[in-house]
Amino acid sequence: MNYPSSKSLKFHSKLSVLLLLVCSLQMPAQELQWHGFISQGLIQAPETNFVNLDDSISAELTDIGVNMSWVMSDKLRLASQVVYLDGGRRYTKGTRLDYFFIDWTLYSDFDWRLNLFVGRFKNQHWLYSATRDVPFTRNAIVLPQSVYFDSFRDIAVGSDGLALKSTHDTRFGEIELNWSWGSTNLSKEQKQILLSTLPQGDAEQDYVHQASLFWRPGQLDWQLGLSLLDSDFSYKKAELDFYSDGGITVQRVMFNARYAAEYWELSSEWVQERLDIKDFYAPGFKRNSFSQGWYIQGRYNLMPRTWALLSLDIFDLDKDDRNGTKFSQSTGGMVPAYFAYQDDLTFGLTYDFRDNLRLTMEHHWVKGTARLAYPVLPDVQNNKSEYWQMWAMQLMYWF
Amino acid sequence: MNIKFVVAGFVLWLWSASATEVVTHPAVSMDQLTVTQLRAIYSMRQQNWPDGKAIRVFVLSAKNPVHQRFTKEKLQMFPYQLDRIWQKITYSGLGSAPVVLTSEQQMREMVANTEGAIGYIENSDELSKLKVIEVSQ
Repeated sequence: MNYPSSKSLKFHSKLSVLLLLVCSLQMPAQELQWHGFISQGLIQAPETNFVNLDDSISAELTDIGVNMSWVMSDKLRLASQVVYLDGGRRYTKGTRLDYFFIDWTLYSDFDWRLNLFVGRFKNQHWLYSATRDVPFTRNAIVLPQSVYFDSFRDIAVGSDGLALKSTHDTRFGEIELNWSWGSTNLSKEQKQILLSTLPQGDAEQDYVHQASLFWRPGQLDWQLGLSLLDSDFSYKKAELDFYSDGGITVQRVMFNARYAAEYWELSSEWVQERLDIKDFYAPGFKRNSFSQGWYIQGRYNLMPRTWALLSLDIFDLDKDDRNGTKFSQSTGGMVPAYFAYQDDLTFGLTYDFRDNLRLTMEHHWVKGTARLAYPVLPDVQNNKSEYWQMWAMQLMYWF
Repeated sequence: MNIKFVVAGFVLWLWSASATEVVTHPAVSMDQLTVTQLRAIYSMRQQNWPDGKAIRVFVLSAKNPVHQRFTKEKLQMFPYQLDRIWQKITYSGLGSAPVVLTSEQQMREMVANTEGAIGYIENSDELSKLKVIEVSQ
């Protein structure tokens, strides 16, 4: 499908932050709200390129954010957040404008509400996509990589464009519909995390089009969801380049479910992703593959203020080649079969010192490296083991 | 005496002694709300009363037993579900969390003195300057 480019919706972050500050100084407190968070952690993932390349314990686990919501009128609101993120090699380090949009209430009564968002908004279509950088909103420090692949973080976290959200209370429960269209402008660092440092050309996301439906029956203990994604990327090679001009199409179908009991909770997402690559590796190259993944996370309230987490995350790069044999053969044996899958068993503990001060610790036992950088170029040199482990701990404060 | 009646009577007494009441500023035009409508307000989706005035939502802290009983009895949710909704809207830009108060006394004062306010209390002896809202299924 062809969509017009949304490049005209690029934002200048410094100007936006300045506008945010000016607005905040002039608004009554009731119409303006400030919130934020700061967190710091330690992480180690030896024998992989996940966080660093020297296998050491790393302090590159920092999430800081400050946001504001300004109610301009009954129908209009301005919302913005600036974040500083450091995840080592997992995603781009630095300060960024996380979201900046106008929220226009098109219709509102007690049963039905419809909002239009214009600007840079978060991805509202998956269970954790809207707040994946906000540590205390996640069940785990490192989210299940089958769905929340860190190398795709900067593309999946939000878009510049238009979005609609509708919530409707019916006798069958609450129904939420989301639709969005836009794109993300990729920085040089983001391109390198996606494609490695080898390609010298220019990669762009032409568009991403998403829709989702959530259904919460009457008692709100269940939530069921479905989401769809369609996105095109294009690559224009440099004069001296190992790669060719090309295009990549990514399409996702996802289901999610969450069950909440008083002292425990289950959440799960299933994803099938179509990856269609034309040219790029070489003129005339064509590959169309379907990856599949799912996770299930259980949380149990062990005692007041303490939750335990058990999580299983499964990912197969090609649903028709789950053990990676054909994949490895297609590279002449250069890339081991374990680059075609990644399964992760995680155990974690969370303790709340106060209502807004939390410590989370977790350990991952992992088989396979399919969700380690780089998505289009397996890093054989640094991801040497089929079986690897990772641990992380993070202290977080929010206001 | 049948032990079941004794237990049932005791439970009923406990319930009546600690029943939470949803209260609003006296000028709010509504007298009753359904559970779904109350949830829409406390999920911060519904931001205006039918007459167009802004709804000001007040809560006690998440660990306060009155808040926990209100969430379970009136909203029919668990407190951590409500926390997650507020965190999601606050940190993804979709809205603002309610104002957290420190005591029932402060809740009475703020709801009574803030136009469009809604809150909850348990000790229903002192209801002057507040409007009690009936919550139905």
